[in-house]
Amino acid sequence: MRFNSATADRATAAVFFALGAAMAWGGYVMDRLEIRQIHPASIPGLVPMILGAALMLCAILLARSAAATPRDTEDDDSGSLQDFTFTAIWSCVFALVLVGRIPFAAGAAIYIAGFAGWFLVPAAPIGSGRMKTALFVMLFGAVTAGAISALFRYGFLVRLP
Amino acid sequence: MMEGLAGFAAAIVALATPMSVFHVAWATLLGIFVGSLPGLTATMGVALLTTLTYTMERDTAILVLICMYVGAIYGGSRSAILLNIPGTPASAATSLDGYPLAQKGQAGYAMALATAGSALGTLVGIVMLVVLAPPLAEIALDFGSFEFFWLAVFGIVISGQLTGGVAPLKGYIAGLLGLMVAMIGSEGIHAHVRFNLGFHQMNGGIALIPAMVGAFGFAEVLTVMWRNKPELVEKNSTDDRVLPRLADLIRYKYTIIRSGIIGTLVGIIPGVGEDIGAWASYAAAKRTSPEREEFGKGSREGLTAAETGNSAVVPGSLIPALTLAVPGSAPAAVLIAALFIHGIRPGPMIMIEQPTFIYSIAAMLVFATIAIAIYGLSLTRLFILVLKIPREILMPVVFTLCVIGPYALTQRTFDIGVMVAFGLIGFVLRQMKYPMAPLVLGIILGSLLDKSLRRGLTLSDGSLEPFFSRPISLFFVVVIVVSIAMGLAPVRRSFARLTSRLKGKSKS
Repeated sequence: MRFNSATADRATAAVFFALGAAMAWGGYVMDRLEIRQIHPASIPGLVPMILGAALMLCAILLARSAAATPRDTEDDDSGSLQDFTFTAIWSCVFALVLVGRIPFAAGAAIYIAGFAGWFLVPAAPIGSGRMKTALFVMLFGAVTAGAISALFRYGFLVRLP
Repeated sequence: MMEGLAGFAAAIVALATPMSVFHVAWATLLGIFVGSLPGLTATMGVALLTTLTYTMERDTAILVLICMYVGAIYGGSRSAILLNIPGTPASAATSLDGYPLAQKGQAGYAMALATAGSALGTLVGIVMLVVLAPPLAEIALDFGSFEFFWLAVFGIVISGQLTGGVAPLKGYIAGLLGLMVAMIGSEGIHAHVRFNLGFHQMNGGIALIPAMVGAFGFAEVLTVMWRNKPELVEKNSTDDRVLPRLADLIRYKYTIIRSGIIGTLVGIIPGVGEDIGAWASYAAAKRTSPEREEFGKGSREGLTAAETGNSAVVPGSLIPALTLAVPGSAPAAVLIAALFIHGIRPGPMIMIEQPTFIYSIAAMLVFATIAIAIYGLSLTRLFILVLKIPREILMPVVFTLCVIGPYALTQRTFDIGVMVAFGLIGFVLRQMKYPMAPLVLGIILGSLLDKSLRRGLTLSDGSLEPFFSRPISLFFVVVIVVSIAMGLAPVRRSFARLTSRLKGKSKS
């Protein structure tokens, strides 16, 4: 399924409708703070109810207009799925798994070297060329991670994760 | 008027210190690099740099952020001209004529014209900032809850309408999603915690900086790796010059002034931004130019109009940001967050609490403009080298900054998770052609909309009448209704039929 297509729009319309309904319901059942004797027009759930209803309405309109929406023929969603998938997974691993479990500088060095190495090492000539590229990305990762960590740790006095 | 200009002159003198010049020099250069690299936007640059300004003095911090903003918007023209890929969305119109000029071997001259256009556009915007901001702040003092509610709705509707392109509905949806994000956490009237989903870290709401860094930083990294690699057009002409001809600038003087005014006015409209400023200026220049058939094929006038228009949006977007705390563009939204972090409260009271601050901002913009003119005309070769940095080297560094930047603000790993979530969702929404500007505006304006509606209803004892009867409210209501109606296809078709019929009658 393409990102910018009628099918994708209908699928997201269903998601938005559910999200809108959840927010409207959440606003409706939200504590009205009667115990504090607040004005009934200032209940905390008022705006979420309105927003939820508005999103449901927009979702219906989106689903209805999906087929008629004009779309670019030269869409840029024809890029490299492999590059994207690696970037998304590796970046999430760094941000959500490595950070907080090992020192930030070490995690960043692994991430940067791994990222650059994944693309650059296979593209280098087989043999010593690959070895040199691998060494370069490892050195680049270590130096860059060290510089960023030092900047935040000593320059901006941030206690790194 | 004279008082304003005197305040402006005093601010320029106060800013002319060696240390300020040093900060202007590095921050603007960094901004140009950020803007020139496809995938690094002005919003992302300002958001990431905000995280580096926590320990700086207030004025220094704002100065470097303004320089980053101006530099990045200008820098986008480099890759638009040499790669046919706008470094920032603001330079999309620039590539239409800049790239054909580069292909003709006039890349240097195209960059020189872009520099002159950017500098002159920013200057036009600065003049309008100095002239318009104080009276607007005065008008805003009359705003009550009813007006602020409609102002917030107006911002979301207009931003959604103008950035949604052929499908304004997607712009509205993006705005609604932003408003819904703003509903998370403790609300501003009774301090009741809403939609925290069991995470105590969400009691204070979703912070803007992690959300922005995710939506504009991580999402950009993913987008860059998703796209195919761009090809660089090398400078290969012997008669190419890197300084703009005075004759060209004089010939295009009306285009420059018109584009500067259009860009500034677009900047004043909440959440619309530089790309629309550039397109609107480009379209106006094309309509009035005697050489309009050259547009899109390497027109110097078209290039000048686009660059003047997008740069003039920068000062324009700061007018509502400073006087109403409503951002005129996505980078201005981050600037508002930065102002709060550094103890400045933008809004109607700014001319009372800090009467000279608007002039200080204008002076900072002047310094940044001088810097882009100097760099733009002298460092052309360096910018070409920067564009050769492989994305595989650059993107992991950018993402590492995306991780540590939001963390540095609150020292919570939860904010890293927020950044990742906004990055992934932002990427998908972008690919599905949902604009990001209304989403950001929604996050910023959500609290204002929520508090103003409930406070207004409390003041009127539940009556909706003051929301429609007060003059400023009524003005906003009319504009909002007309905007939404014009976004509906049947209304647009009827309007087009009516205008063509009227044209036919007037001809006969």
